[in-house]
Amino acid sequence: MPTQRQIIAPLLTVPLLAAPLLSFAAPAAGPRPAAVSAPAPSPSPMVRGRQLYGISCASCHGQRGEGSQYGPSLKGVGAASADFWLSTGRMPLPNPRALPRHGPPAFGRRDIDALVSYVASFGPGPAIPAVGKGNVQQGLTIYLRDCAACHSSTGEGGALPAGRYAPSLTGTAPVQIAEAVRLGPGAMPKFGRGTLSDGALNSVIAYIRTLPRTSGAGGWPLGGVGPVTEGVVAWVLGLGVLLLVIRALGKRAR
Amino acid sequence: MITRWAVRRVLLWLDGRVRIASVTRKTLAKVFPDHWTFMLGEIALYSFVSLVATGVFLTLFFEPSPAETVYTGAYGPMRGVRASAAYASAVTLSWDVRAGLLMRQTHHWSALVFLSAIVAHLSRIFLTGAFRKPREINWVIGLTMFLLGIATGFAGYSVPDDLLSGTGLRIAAATLLSVPVVGPWAAFLLFGGGFPGTSIIPRLYILHVLLLPGAIAALIGAHLAILIRQKHTHFPGPGRTQDNVVGSKMWPTYGFRSLALMCAVFAVTFGLGGLVQINPVWVWGPFRPSGATSPAQPDWFLAWVEGALRLYPPYEFRIFGYLVPAPFVPGVVMPALTFLVLYLWPWLDRRLTRGRGRHQVLDRPRDSPARVAAWAWGASFYGLLLLASSDDVVARYFQIPVFGIVRTMRIVVLVVPVAIGAVAYVLARALREDPEATLLDLRWRRIAAVIRRRPPDVEGGERRAAGAERPAASGEEGAGA
Repeated sequence: MPTQRQIIAPLLTVPLLAAPLLSFAAPAAGPRPAAVSAPAPSPSPMVRGRQLYGISCASCHGQRGEGSQYGPSLKGVGAASADFWLSTGRMPLPNPRALPRHGPPAFGRRDIDALVSYVASFGPGPAIPAVGKGNVQQGLTIYLRDCAACHSSTGEGGALPAGRYAPSLTGTAPVQIAEAVRLGPGAMPKFGRGTLSDGALNSVIAYIRTLPRTSGAGGWPLGGVGPVTEGVVAWVLGLGVLLLVIRALGKRAR
Repeated sequence: MITRWAVRRVLLWLDGRVRIASVTRKTLAKVFPDHWTFMLGEIALYSFVSLVATGVFLTLFFEPSPAETVYTGAYGPMRGVRASAAYASAVTLSWDVRAGLLMRQTHHWSALVFLSAIVAHLSRIFLTGAFRKPREINWVIGLTMFLLGIATGFAGYSVPDDLLSGTGLRIAAATLLSVPVVGPWAAFLLFGGGFPGTSIIPRLYILHVLLLPGAIAALIGAHLAILIRQKHTHFPGPGRTQDNVVGSKMWPTYGFRSLALMCAVFAVTFGLGGLVQINPVWVWGPFRPSGATSPAQPDWFLAWVEGALRLYPPYEFRIFGYLVPAPFVPGVVMPALTFLVLYLWPWLDRRLTRGRGRHQVLDRPRDSPARVAAWAWGASFYGLLLLASSDDVVARYFQIPVFGIVRTMRIVVLVVPVAIGAVAYVLARALREDPEATLLDLRWRRIAAVIRRRPPDVEGGERRAAGAERPAASGEEGAGA
């Protein structure tokens, strides 16, 4: 006598088997829109990059990256800069006056690479940094000295003047952190190799990468913003629960 | 059988030497009012017990020393890093000592609950007029415990020598420096030299584990002794007079209820300590005078002062040629005035209500709309200061420019509490005319009537008429009606 699970299991596998077939079928069904990640046929990254640049970037940064009244020149910004702004979703902006916000990137990885190599062709500039192994203990000291004042010891980020903010680093890729340190985007100061060696930078990144594993010790971390949320919890979950307790104890006595 | 016999022998032996029978009989027969708000102070009492119990555990491992040492425990990123012994031992407590993190977190949560329970208790005493004659002494003692509790909390927040508390200590030092004439001397004395120096952590430690909690424990003793001597107050009701207390006896009723509350308090503080992170010192990192972390706030019981410091404009002036730096008014004058008014309230209240007699029967909050208005003003004013102290966190979560919040809050903290106080006054007035009504029963018609009828003489007669139906709030007022 088969159990219920034995009957259901084969039924479940049918859609699972069908799924890959369906996804293979999708590209054949019709051409995809151009902005979404590229199918193989596009001739070279450079051509693809120019194409995407013309659609999404040129209206502010100019046809050949010379800049305009709406956006700065991209000549000589290099691959690092293009990769940082595009892969963290800060570019393209929804409108020329918007503040760049960290978010999901507008392009797929292959399109970003194409755009990066196209922008890098405007003039020589910093290449995308390579992140190596670092010393976590050295990273802790440097991070707390140079980074925590804005990004918080927890790496959760914090508010800055004029509606800007230092973003959370907990979900940021190592290469993006390295790019930000070297470039100094937005309100962030730029740390050159004279200030922070490549080894030191690797250490800082190694330390930041330990935070998600250690900052949750002890329970629910309440957003990692310190006494503000702790105070709310003390009043609501601490005293609040105890008020319900004495309310029940007192009522029973009536 | 044998147990009973043994207990009886021991008790008789004790009674033959220190005469415990009469005291025990009196204690067991002590009557506690049944209304639930009479247990607010007990929440504070049991949180204090929780604080002492976990605090003793922490002293076994914490080293209150600024001497530099190398951490070598289980927390990887700190291994081999130089830090003060205070900080290193706080990290050791959190990562290496069995149950150390539970105890640290429970200790901290207990402190937050302790002080919030004190505020709730103080609100109940304030709104019901329980501070009136003959209980002014206990009001003053209670306020002193509140003040000492804040000081103990700040000292405890500061001793781990982490980056967050070091920032707080810097603000405290700057606020002390801002006192005209004596400030620099006082700060020099407290820190044993310039900031941060090597003396402050051992000094804060001995304040935190001995002097301040010792004083609080002594005052708890006095608070309870006076309470037993004066007996409890009670709310007005059938059979409740100025000469009796209506409620449940310690044995066999109230003692168990109180025991249940103790268990609940421990369940909450240890539950939070085990499940919710508080003050992760290993994340904040060791304090260096050149470093900082943000957002940086004190614990909530000092955040109202922090809020005032953030809102006060950078405005300095001179008195008799002495400079008054900007932190002085929000950081020293405002808290001093707050506690001065609170300390003097029983006598201010006497002036306002002309109730000079002894009060064993409580007012209901609605019986004194002015008191309700004053409380509502205070609750909203200090609550808004707490919000102002969190301006950068609010700015981050709600994506509002932080200076916009500061500019808005400068006006809001002055205007909104007055408006809330006025609304509370009108609502209490409207409720006063119907002792049975609750806030939900209020209809606009009645509120409008209160607003239209101009105080004070027009409704003076009506107030008396309403007052005659229920038991008089005080001996003298009763005689007047």
